[in-house]
Amino acid sequence: MRRLPAYALVLLGALVMLLPFVAAFGNSLKSFAQYIQVPPVWLPDPVRWDNYAEVWRRTPFGLYLANSMVIAVLAVAGNVLTSSMVGHALARSRLPGRQALLTMALGTMMLPTVITIVPNFVLFRSLGWLDTMLPLIVPYWLATPFGIFLMRQTFLGIPRDFEEAAGIDGANPWQVFWRIHLPLAKPALATLAVFTFMASWSAVLEPTIYLTSPENYTLPIGVMSLKGEFVGNDQLVTAAAMMSLLPMLVVFVLAQRYFVRGAVSAGLKG
Amino acid sequence: MTLLTRKPGRVAVAPPAPLRGRRTGERAWALAFASPYLLHLVALTAWPVLASLYFSLTEYNLITSPRFVGLDNFARLFADEVFWRTLGNTAYFAVLFVPAQTILALLLAIALNQRLRAMALFRAAYFVPVVSSWVVVAYVADAVFNPQFGIANQVLGWLGLPAQDWLQDPALVIPTLAAVAVWKGVGYMMVLFLAGLQAIPEDRYEAAKIDGASAWNRFRYITLPGVSGTTFLVLVLTSITTLQSFEQVFVMTNGEPHGASEVTVLYLYRHGFQFFQMGYASAVAWVLFVLVLALTLVQFRLQRRWVHYA
Repeated sequence: MRRLPAYALVLLGALVMLLPFVAAFGNSLKSFAQYIQVPPVWLPDPVRWDNYAEVWRRTPFGLYLANSMVIAVLAVAGNVLTSSMVGHALARSRLPGRQALLTMALGTMMLPTVITIVPNFVLFRSLGWLDTMLPLIVPYWLATPFGIFLMRQTFLGIPRDFEEAAGIDGANPWQVFWRIHLPLAKPALATLAVFTFMASWSAVLEPTIYLTSPENYTLPIGVMSLKGEFVGNDQLVTAAAMMSLLPMLVVFVLAQRYFVRGAVSAGLKG
Repeated sequence: MTLLTRKPGRVAVAPPAPLRGRRTGERAWALAFASPYLLHLVALTAWPVLASLYFSLTEYNLITSPRFVGLDNFARLFADEVFWRTLGNTAYFAVLFVPAQTILALLLAIALNQRLRAMALFRAAYFVPVVSSWVVVAYVADAVFNPQFGIANQVLGWLGLPAQDWLQDPALVIPTLAAVAVWKGVGYMMVLFLAGLQAIPEDRYEAAKIDGASAWNRFRYITLPGVSGTTFLVLVLTSITTLQSFEQVFVMTNGEPHGASEVTVLYLYRHGFQFFQMGYASAVAWVLFVLVLALTLVQFRLQRRWVHYA
């Protein structure tokens, strides 16, 4: 009974969190006439699942989905690999200046993205990368400060005995890293993977700046571009938005605990 | 576990001669491992900082090479009413959003920390907006705040209150955006606070209870100081990101109505990527950078007064 106010608050909050999704999902199943009906109809009648099929038929949704998938998968692979390599060097090697590198990584987490927008555009333009996926992938292959920090902390927590034993067996540092340390760091790798996936999947600014041909669009900006095409068919754009959420939602449901863990370790960085 | 059972003394017996070669080899490996970040530092940190500083002193349209103009961009910037209005809009948004999100996140974390049943389920519910992109959120928010067929006006109608234009009302657009931003971000901050709360030793509460401290006093003298470190972190993180918020406004209002929701990064984006005034856009970026830096430093300064580290 004592916990009743707590339950009430949390339950009310959860409703506020989820009801808008339910309403938007309902909207995506309406006809346009019902979509704009005043006062709003909560339950679509009839339920037009065909809206979703229509999005597939009438828009390059599948193409946007494929683009987003390719970019997200390559971004995740790159960030997980390179951030753990750098994190490993900072945690385990006697590399001169590794403390300075760590400080810089922490410092650049504070560097506002606004500073980098224009020069990065100029850089990628001079490399001939405009309207390609490269500006959305390659930065993740150069390790991210958050990833470096997370992986460094993880590798610091692995007892040294492991690698000493492996070193005696004649393994080189790459083999120690790949065969011994990475498998032990799986939870942190999963955390880094889900956060990178989320950042890549939801990005709006970078794809807007770098991608100009519609066939290169990712899901967020692809769905945004439908808004102009489907005037008077907002239920279809809503359906497209709901569909673009689905892969993210699947990742979230499967990897929920890694999201929580990542949120906490991001918090510890300060 | 067989890896751990090495014979003692074996390492010490190793001859000293190859050790030197081994150390150089080790360094080369370490350098190879660190190389992605070294490249990152050059290409994605040093270059942008120096280049944008340089660009901010030039006129640069991407077609002809940058032409040095001194502080002209800054003079033009500070004389532009629109720029000041975007700063005002950004500040207004931050003043509404940051405290609201912080307080709500703390309250929810305290409630969830009462060892509620189905806590993981609730936490998941609060995280769904966090993982949604702003494009998805824009459509979800439209279901709520659409002036004609949104739920919000329907609810106001039930309560006998007049309908509002929300995102289309110049006076309401920023509060509405801030409310949506709180809705999207509160789950993430709540998880941070939950971690902070769980780090407060249980025996402090026990001792206070024995001493007869009221629930309010336990909150005031144990919980609040206990999460002050987390609160500080949340405040620093959110104010840094809030001053640079772009995606939400870009997707939801694009600065409308009549520039009432035009924020500074949107202004930067227009000048840089619609008018291709890269020098001017860089000047905007630096002004914003200095503001972010100043705010962060002030927050670090003030933290001594109210942050308790156990």
